Amino acid sequence: MTPQRLMQDDRLQAVLLLGPAIVIYLVFAIYPMIDVVVLSFQKWNGLDANRQFVGVGNYVDIFTRDPVFWRAFRNTVIWTALSLIFPPLIGLLLALGLNQPIFGRNALRAAYYLPVIIAPIAVATMWRWMYDPFFGLFAQILTALGRPNWIQDWLGNKDLALYSAFAAHVWQSAGFSMVLFLAGLQGVPKTLIEAARIDGAGRWDVFRHVTLPALRTTITIVLVLAVISSLKAFDIVYGLTGGGPAQATQMLALWAFTQAMQIFDFGRGSAIAVVLLVITLSVVVPYLSWTQRREESQE
Amino acid sequence: MTALADRAARAFEAEQPRRDWVLVGLWIALVVVAVVWLAPFVFIVFTSLKSTAEVMGSSAFAPPRDPQYANYAAAWGRGRFGTTVFNSAVITIVKVPLGLMISAMAAYALACMRIPGGKLILIGVLFGTMIPFQVMLAPLFTLVNGLHLIDTYPGVILPYIAFGIPYQVFILHGFFRGIPVELNEAARIDGASHATIFLKIFLPLSLPVLAALLILDFVATWNEFAMALVLLQDRDMWTLPLGLSAFQGQFSRDYGQLNAAIVMTVLPATIVYLIFQRYFVSGLTSGAVKG
Repeated sequence: MTPQRLMQDDRLQAVLLLGPAIVIYLVFAIYPMIDVVVLSFQKWNGLDANRQFVGVGNYVDIFTRDPVFWRAFRNTVIWTALSLIFPPLIGLLLALGLNQPIFGRNALRAAYYLPVIIAPIAVATMWRWMYDPFFGLFAQILTALGRPNWIQDWLGNKDLALYSAFAAHVWQSAGFSMVLFLAGLQGVPKTLIEAARIDGAGRWDVFRHVTLPALRTTITIVLVLAVISSLKAFDIVYGLTGGGPAQATQMLALWAFTQAMQIFDFGRGSAIAVVLLVITLSVVVPYLSWTQRREESQE
Repeated sequence: MTALADRAARAFEAEQPRRDWVLVGLWIALVVVAVVWLAPFVFIVFTSLKSTAEVMGSSAFAPPRDPQYANYAAAWGRGRFGTTVFNSAVITIVKVPLGLMISAMAAYALACMRIPGGKLILIGVLFGTMIPFQVMLAPLFTLVNGLHLIDTYPGVILPYIAFGIPYQVFILHGFFRGIPVELNEAARIDGASHATIFLKIFLPLSLPVLAALLILDFVATWNEFAMALVLLQDRDMWTLPLGLSAFQGQFSRDYGQLNAAIVMTVLPATIVYLIFQRYFVSGLTSGAVKG
């Protein structure tokens, strides 16, 4: 074939355009996902030539003999539940406020969004220093307020550490929810709001009966993204506490990493990862089918 | 009709003064919260310019009395910032445009060419936007190790590209689908190949979307930590986030230098953000929220 003919062949062109993405995606994303399932049924230290098949042994181990797993599981559930409430709620309130015609609203939006673009590991480093019980920001504020006895070892106290870490996450992620809500608010029909107001509806009525229903899709998306990102919680916990003290902030993603990459038990680490994967899929699959249905009904 | 207009006018009059008052209150609240939101940055910058003695002796809110710019130089050397900034720059500069090009090509093929199983591929891609890659750190290490690419640029760039593909293909596919089919058909009749149509028509048309994705991807790549932690073990290959994490572990009691290290890590992404702000919002929302 001449080069010209070559370029006219649709099938070849499709392969050339689609090929690189498919190959890289299959090799570096899909294959590891399959391999993690395979690894979870094996015993392997990451170096040996042989991987030994052990059936469901790793799962039995993590479910019955690993108290840290349940600790991490519990913490992940708490983290997810809190993530469904605080960043979306703060984001919604900020968005409602910043959707009004007020002075300097673009600058305000930028200020609230700024933490989102900072590396989570840098946020962790910042907050670890802010939590310093002697010279950190919070200790200084409480001293300035005349409440030095309220100062805690925010990250060293095992009853507090998880919530201290979560506070840093709220600071970082509320701006993300805000932007999604601001975009969603663009879709609320202005005529409907005006009509309701002319009919004498108060602010709260308009919000409840017009704005909130119109935001339904946005709310679903924000909540699904909140669940997914909290299952991924890794960088911020790694940087703030490393899972401590006494596993008080251990999370599933971090524990899977620790088992495989630091204790060199790839099988167990993978079994933990598969549990996380299954939880994620139980959120993602219904969401995707909902999206598909919605798109089809729109077409 | 008059009754309605009358009611509207009355509602408007009754509303006007109260509304202003509410807006002023709202504005004050938003400004106060924004000041609190930004306070950590001020605290970090102030501390980065203080000596350890001053950190221990002065209030956190007091500006540095005698700015210690030397903290930055010292942190730069101790944190091996020269090496980590270089590595982060190489990885970001190669990964971001290359990944975006690969994604755009795939998005075009899926949106504009009849491909058997195209719909299935698209669902597979969409699926990838939601899967936590943290789950796959161990097998990813095994794979990259098997390819003898641990501690190399390709060893981290290829996985980065793979995990960037889903979101970018998803967004660009949506955009390409919105371009009238007639445009493509007319060009085909004139004898243009798909490659030409993609390069000469679709890419220029999608420049705003590409710019948004480029900025988002720049920041995401610059900030990435977990995969780099697993795939880059040699100190000479570390990226900026790895360097900061190690710095925190080693020199966390050198408050001034630690804070200088944080500022230097955060600054590039912050500058990019402040310059290209509007692209962030459009990039995030063009795909996520449309209904």
